[in-house]
Amino acid sequence: MNKRKGILGALALVAIAVGLYWSLIVAPPDAYQGEVQRIMYLHLPSILIAYLSYFLVFVGSGLYLWKREKRDDILAHAAAEIGVLFTALTIIEGSIWGRPTWGVWWTWDARLTLTAILLLIYVGYLMLRSLIEDEQRAATAAAVLGIIGFLDIPLIHMSVYWWRTLHQPPSILRPDKLPWENVHPSMLTALTISFIGFLLLYFYLLSLRYRIGEMRQEIKALRLERGAG
Amino acid sequence: MRVTADKLAKAYGFLWALRELDLELTPGECVALLGPNGAGKTTLLKLLAGLIPPTSGQILLDGEDFSRGAAALRARVGLLEPAGHLYENLTVTENLAFFTRLYDRNSAARAIDAALAHVGLGRRAGDYVANLSSGMKCRLSIAKWLLLEPELLLLDEPYGVLDGSGVDLLEDFLKDQCAKGGIVVMASHHVSRVLDLCERAIILSQGRLTFNETKRQPWPSFDQAFREFLPHGGA
Amino acid sequence: MTLLRQTYLVLCKDLRLELRRRDSLLTMFFFGTLLLFVFHFSFDLVPERVVEMAPALLWLAFLFTGTLGLAQLFQAERENHCFDALLLSPLDRGALFLAKTGFNLILMVLVEIVVIPLFWILFNMRSWNLLPQVFLVTLLGTVGFCVLGTLMSAITLRARARELLLPLVLFPLMIPVILATIRCMEEVLHAGQIGDAMPWLRLLLGFDVIFMTAGVLIFDWVIES
Repeated sequence: MNKRKGILGALALVAIAVGLYWSLIVAPPDAYQGEVQRIMYLHLPSILIAYLSYFLVFVGSGLYLWKREKRDDILAHAAAEIGVLFTALTIIEGSIWGRPTWGVWWTWDARLTLTAILLLIYVGYLMLRSLIEDEQRAATAAAVLGIIGFLDIPLIHMSVYWWRTLHQPPSILRPDKLPWENVHPSMLTALTISFIGFLLLYFYLLSLRYRIGEMRQEIKALRLERGAG
Repeated sequence: MRVTADKLAKAYGFLWALRELDLELTPGECVALLGPNGAGKTTLLKLLAGLIPPTSGQILLDGEDFSRGAAALRARVGLLEPAGHLYENLTVTENLAFFTRLYDRNSAARAIDAALAHVGLGRRAGDYVANLSSGMKCRLSIAKWLLLEPELLLLDEPYGVLDGSGVDLLEDFLKDQCAKGGIVVMASHHVSRVLDLCERAIILSQGRLTFNETKRQPWPSFDQAFREFLPHGGA
Repeated sequence: MTLLRQTYLVLCKDLRLELRRRDSLLTMFFFGTLLLFVFHFSFDLVPERVVEMAPALLWLAFLFTGTLGLAQLFQAERENHCFDALLLSPLDRGALFLAKTGFNLILMVLVEIVVIPLFWILFNMRSWNLLPQVFLVTLLGTVGFCVLGTLMSAITLRARARELLLPLVLFPLMIPVILATIRCMEEVLHAGQIGDAMPWLRLLLGFDVIFMTAGVLIFDWVIES
């Protein structure tokens, strides 16, 4: 198991390295924004993974409520912790990008706001877990929040988007045009490699964090056995 | 109703409250649940009531798994807490009306009045529960379960708050329940009292079932099992 | 006994308890009024600005007032282990959810019925004829608040620092309701009818329906002894 994780980690490193090379050297600078646009190669994968992570929180939560198997709860918790990391990363990247582009460290445009809200939901989830003493109750409460939060995210999206349209229309995710029509092919490659790298990194970190959760349960079981003897 | 506990176990955090408990209860039985403090009596009662899920093992009521507490099965099980499960700011009658309607039992004013008269609370019908003494609250609980007609009735230390006539009232009520085919399981520290009433006793010690026998004159191996905890408690 | 009948039974019990002491109701009402005063001093509300700020101020006042009510929501059950009594009974958990949501909704509506006209009076609002629409929009938003609030109130019951945790988990999830309610109210006060804000109204309705349903289905797992 450790060997597989090691390989995963190594692959992640390689993919990110290649992705960085492509992002910083191969891909041409953006026509309007210049070099600073290159942050997008980190920013976009980060945000996608932040949302992927909450999806995993949702899946873990749902499975836990249904089957009450500890491993699903561990998955949800792990996904929440790694997810909050990537969400915070996204916000920092977005802020760094925003400073030279708009002249300010923060604006309340749709995307940054949504990412901040996602961060708040994650933080609420983690705080809920840490403030409930009984482990089983904490797991159940967190699972409910995981599900409700996930159901709410599309609604939050719609409402924030309708309210704010300062940000440029997302060039990859425009519904009317195909993804590759807007973007220079080299940029697209850089983005894809970067995304794969981040994805691998995410799963590597997730597997580590999951293992920690498993080990906690193993210790608990050992203590229980010791007490029973 | 037959009640079966199969390898029942419950852990709270790092503490085992109950371990590998097997139990069978048949209709008409009156069972005394004895043991020192912390032995797991309350945990067992809560498990049988469907209030908490077991860590492992299962509880079967008439063959059906009760672990997640299905509504239809819950209606047939009762837990009598001497001064609990009553709304402080509702009157005596309102409490009974609420619970009888909730359980879909007879909630007619006549039935409620009769139950209150039976337990000696006839004149307190309009009083708020907050104004009752613990003994009276216990009588109200008896009236409540009289009306709710459970097939399995669990009791957690009812003797503490009752006076002499209250104790007689409770015991007559429990004898009635068993006569009608119900099962009664009563946890208590008043050992001699409870042994007079019940014809079966189970003893829990540190979460394990150490004694599980019905009354035969004289009780076999009872003294031996008892000796280990008589010094700790019992009246 | 059906879900609705059980809901009605528990709701009546809660209303009866509340009408007897009126603890929550009066506290919420006075707190809501107090907030209006605080807003007046904080924002220095001159007549020209009041109309554009009214929806936000009103809704903020109700949000904070409602949170007070939520903290008290399961109070009756916490005495004497009545929670266990309900869990023990054949009560459908979904019915408990609907009853508690309905109870909080009734309390908040009663408060709103007084506070909204009071706002109109205190801040010299002219548009009395628009009150019905304002009420309607507020009602839909309040339903959304009560539904999510009951869920969050239930899952935080045994948490430490509960009074702080409850708003922390609830408010981010409330953002669609906050945005939709305020935008609809703005449109009503500006144009006299919902009109352009229809999408927002639909969002609000959708929110209410989705989480009401989710709440009824999920409450089984939320409540444990």
